Amino acid sequence: MESYARVVVIGGGVVGVSTLYHLAKKGWSDVVLCERSELTAGSTWHAAGLLPLFNMSYAVGQLHKYSVDLYKNLEEETGQDVGFHVTGNLRLACTRDRMDEYKKYCGTANTIEVPFELITPSEIKDLWPLINPDGLIGALYHPDDGHIAPVDLTNALAKGARDRGARIYQKTEVTGLNRTPGGEWKVSTSKGDIGCEHIVCATGNYSQTISRLLGISIPAIPVQHQYIVTDVVNELREYREGGGKELAVLRESDASYYLREERMGYILGPYEKGAPAVFADGVPSTFEKDLFPGDLDRLMPHVEAAINRVPSFETAGIKDIVNGPISYTPDGSPLVGPAWDIPNVWLNEGHSFGVTAAGGAGWQLAEWIVEGEPMIDLLAVDPRRYGDYARGPYLVTKNEEAYENVFTIHYPDEERPACRPAKTSPIHDRLATLGAVWGQRYGWERPNWFAPDGVEAVDDWSFRRSKYFEHVGNEHNNIRNNVGIIDITSFSKFRVSGEGAEDYLDGLFARRLPKKVGRIQLCHALTKNGGVRSEFTVTKDADGSYYLVSSGAAERFDYSFLQKHLPADKSVRLDNITTAFGTLVVAGPNSRRVLEKLTETDLSNNAFPWLTAQHIYVGLAPLRAMRVNFVGELGWELHHPIEYQRHIFEQLMEAGAEFNIGQCGMRAMDSLRIEKSYRMWGQDLTREYTILEAGLGIFVHMDKGDFVGRDALQNQLDNGIPQEFVTVAVEGVTDADPLGNEPLWDGEKMIGRATAGSYGHFLRQSLAIGYVQTGYGGIGTKLEIEILGNRYNCSVIENSPHDSSNVRLRS
Amino acid sequence: MKVIVPVKRVIDANIKVRVRMDGSGVELNNVKMSMNPFCEIAVEESIRFKEAGKADEIIVVAAGPQQSQETLRNGLAMGADRGILIQTDVDLEPLAIAKLLKAVVEREQPGIVLMGKQAVDNDNNQTGQMLSAMLNWSLGTFVSKIEVEDDGFNVVREVDGGLETVRLSRPSVITVDLRLNEPRYASLPNIMKARRKEIEVLTPDDLGIDVTPRVTVLEVTEPPARNAGVRVQSAEELIDKLKNEAKVL
Repeated sequence: MESYARVVVIGGGVVGVSTLYHLAKKGWSDVVLCERSELTAGSTWHAAGLLPLFNMSYAVGQLHKYSVDLYKNLEEETGQDVGFHVTGNLRLACTRDRMDEYKKYCGTANTIEVPFELITPSEIKDLWPLINPDGLIGALYHPDDGHIAPVDLTNALAKGARDRGARIYQKTEVTGLNRTPGGEWKVSTSKGDIGCEHIVCATGNYSQTISRLLGISIPAIPVQHQYIVTDVVNELREYREGGGKELAVLRESDASYYLREERMGYILGPYEKGAPAVFADGVPSTFEKDLFPGDLDRLMPHVEAAINRVPSFETAGIKDIVNGPISYTPDGSPLVGPAWDIPNVWLNEGHSFGVTAAGGAGWQLAEWIVEGEPMIDLLAVDPRRYGDYARGPYLVTKNEEAYENVFTIHYPDEERPACRPAKTSPIHDRLATLGAVWGQRYGWERPNWFAPDGVEAVDDWSFRRSKYFEHVGNEHNNIRNNVGIIDITSFSKFRVSGEGAEDYLDGLFARRLPKKVGRIQLCHALTKNGGVRSEFTVTKDADGSYYLVSSGAAERFDYSFLQKHLPADKSVRLDNITTAFGTLVVAGPNSRRVLEKLTETDLSNNAFPWLTAQHIYVGLAPLRAMRVNFVGELGWELHHPIEYQRHIFEQLMEAGAEFNIGQCGMRAMDSLRIEKSYRMWGQDLTREYTILEAGLGIFVHMDKGDFVGRDALQNQLDNGIPQEFVTVAVEGVTDADPLGNEPLWDGEKMIGRATAGSYGHFLRQSLAIGYVQTGYGGIGTKLEIEILGNRYNCSVIENSPHDSSNVRLRS
Repeated sequence: MKVIVPVKRVIDANIKVRVRMDGSGVELNNVKMSMNPFCEIAVEESIRFKEAGKADEIIVVAAGPQQSQETLRNGLAMGADRGILIQTDVDLEPLAIAKLLKAVVEREQPGIVLMGKQAVDNDNNQTGQMLSAMLNWSLGTFVSKIEVEDDGFNVVREVDGGLETVRLSRPSVITVDLRLNEPRYASLPNIMKARRKEIEVLTPDDLGIDVTPRVTVLEVTEPPARNAGVRVQSAEELIDKLKNEAKVL
């Protein structure tokens, strides 16, 4: 084996081999793959080989689409048959909510141009003659989908990689990963050491084994997945011998199983309750290319449902029950992107739909490694979306939860119960007594809304206006008309200090830093292409240090970004102070009248203007009051030492009693910000749209000198900005508002996509924000928006339809 | 006619067998186990007897650990009527199994014991022969065809030189070979029904049999790794190598 390669890929399953293939395809031929056993030996060899295009995630959907397109052409490219059967894929629906889910998905499918049809029960029967259509109300049909032979696919990708110079070493186990003094990696293997610049982990079942070598905890472990393989089924044989074409892969989501043809018989794969996670402490040495014993009890409810739906399944002889480990993550989406805390380590892990995802995930990870950036927004699969808590027992419980929820309806407002609460703010229990209905993000419990007296504090998920709609509306209008408290303790907080702090931060952002002490600015770190990587609210402190606040879910993502760019000379100190400080927002026209009862500081507009911060006391608590908020009203964010939170909260409640101060949850905060057209990092601000397209040019100083993304922005300024950010008012909506990922149409031409939406409870108007091709952004432009399969008229309106001149913010 | 079919739980035939780290035996933890394929053929044949009206009850019998119940359930799902488990964690040798089966046969009085010619785990090929000797019953081994007559069986045996047809008087022990039939797969409803069928659990003590092993395993090792072959360019080169390197010509 050579002593050096540019990249060492660890793991010879379909995901690792695809990564190798795409690195070689990008021109990095000096790349090596180490496989401890033989190619496909972990999970790929027993994968059912399905290629579902369906995925509710915009990011994952694009990865799957790329895979299917790649696999179609792989035989031609490599000469290797990959056993690609384009059978189509039929997802059945028995309930309206299920159809709503499909229709919501169709919006996403349209925006990423995946072909699909919604079909009726009689069309289902035409497509799938052996089905019993009782109880079906419709189906989602993907004509391009099908199945593939996973081992052949892996071998074809391996050939494609080798043809481009990549090397594959089998029976080569990685035994150590160490940094060299020169800043590279030394990969120790059973066949000797190899130096490299980058490591890619694609270890599947071995994620915890490799975690130990790396000293981090990769949030992925396998769950047992079973499928049944039947003998020849007579009815199916007769149908096929009579000239019937191969049946589409069938997914009965409401009964949680897939079913496909295999050699005149069926393969039935359910996602059962109670399937155990395995290998939380690594893979035992006794487990090689092995399977677990089948567990029929777990399978039976799904088998009964399948017999009801496909009666010929009843008499089928059961040839085999394949029960093998398949990697999972707590949210069911894979981990594709850089690791954290260690440089030049890349993860392509946690693939539970590895065969479908491998092509796309290898493609984008190679892009990321070679070019420094992926091309599409991969936040939904970014490994840094998890924090320290995502280890050991969390993985066991959450991955089992993810597994049994593969086919449950993925409501946009779904919140899963396992491993909660993990992180709570000190007023958690107090808010619970006020009716808080909780959600979870990045381990943090956050009130989504508050059930008033007499209303059960239970969530109600839907694609449409739900039972909480009215209560969220009241929270919303209480902020607009009166005063409310919002707990945003989960927000990420960093302190950047030291003599080099100013230069360091200035180099990261597209705008100049605040010069004046106490001045607050929104600053964006861009990608090379001018897209938004991170967004921080930056405040300059009297000692020359800076206080940075960003999204709660971005803690590890942003910290690892800030850490990566720290100067080597140690002139900058970076502290993650997220959990040292809590944040309560007091907002609304009466917020000043409440807060001034609790502090000696002058809160008048002149003494404490908008976009400034001061260190003040509220009651006994010393804190940083910042006159900003995400809801677009007069108000202050109170960033306080966490131990004072209860005290501050009670002071606010007491002082606010005469105004009937209320609580405001995350859902109302979201509808409030939509009325202000405030773009949310990760949802409306992503790497796929430049900051100029996002209409945030005022936050860019092209004259400040070079910064990441400047060239791309200059290019757009010179040659035109292809897309523009818009706010649209949607007409005729009575119960289903836009939520994000809805296509925007000009006649039959899709000209953009909504990235977020909500009913504006104060404006009494259904609203969406998003991007359209330049030229469609003029005020008054008439468009159509597709919501749950229906088109509604909408028109472009002025951004920030509520208080567009910020009079209230400045009052 | 009552049929007894002994069935053995073995490592699934598709699994690569590995030796335990300490060399004390074969690794059975986390390994997929199945019914010995020759036993499946015996079960299948007994069901065909019953379907043809030649048998009225099929009893599957297993000797081994508690998990051998799964193997019995498999036989019951294929179509056997009831099961008997002789439960023990002792590693059973053919003689012990033959003695246990003899005790069961004396209790049940079947017209035939139909069993696999050998199990794919240890490849002993002894139990049937021992059982017939102890019962003093007629014996047909390596059987690839069975005709049931009123008072006996016409069987075709696969012998080294070809096929041998013999007539056995009833009762008989018959051990079956690969080509006798192709076993069916149980359907799921039958698998579920099998769970309600009776399995009687006995111990060797209940039957008064001492199953203490008589053979001591000193060590189990992996077979030596085979060296990679070489590709020869011509027949001449092959002949040369066979003569001068392999010295087999």
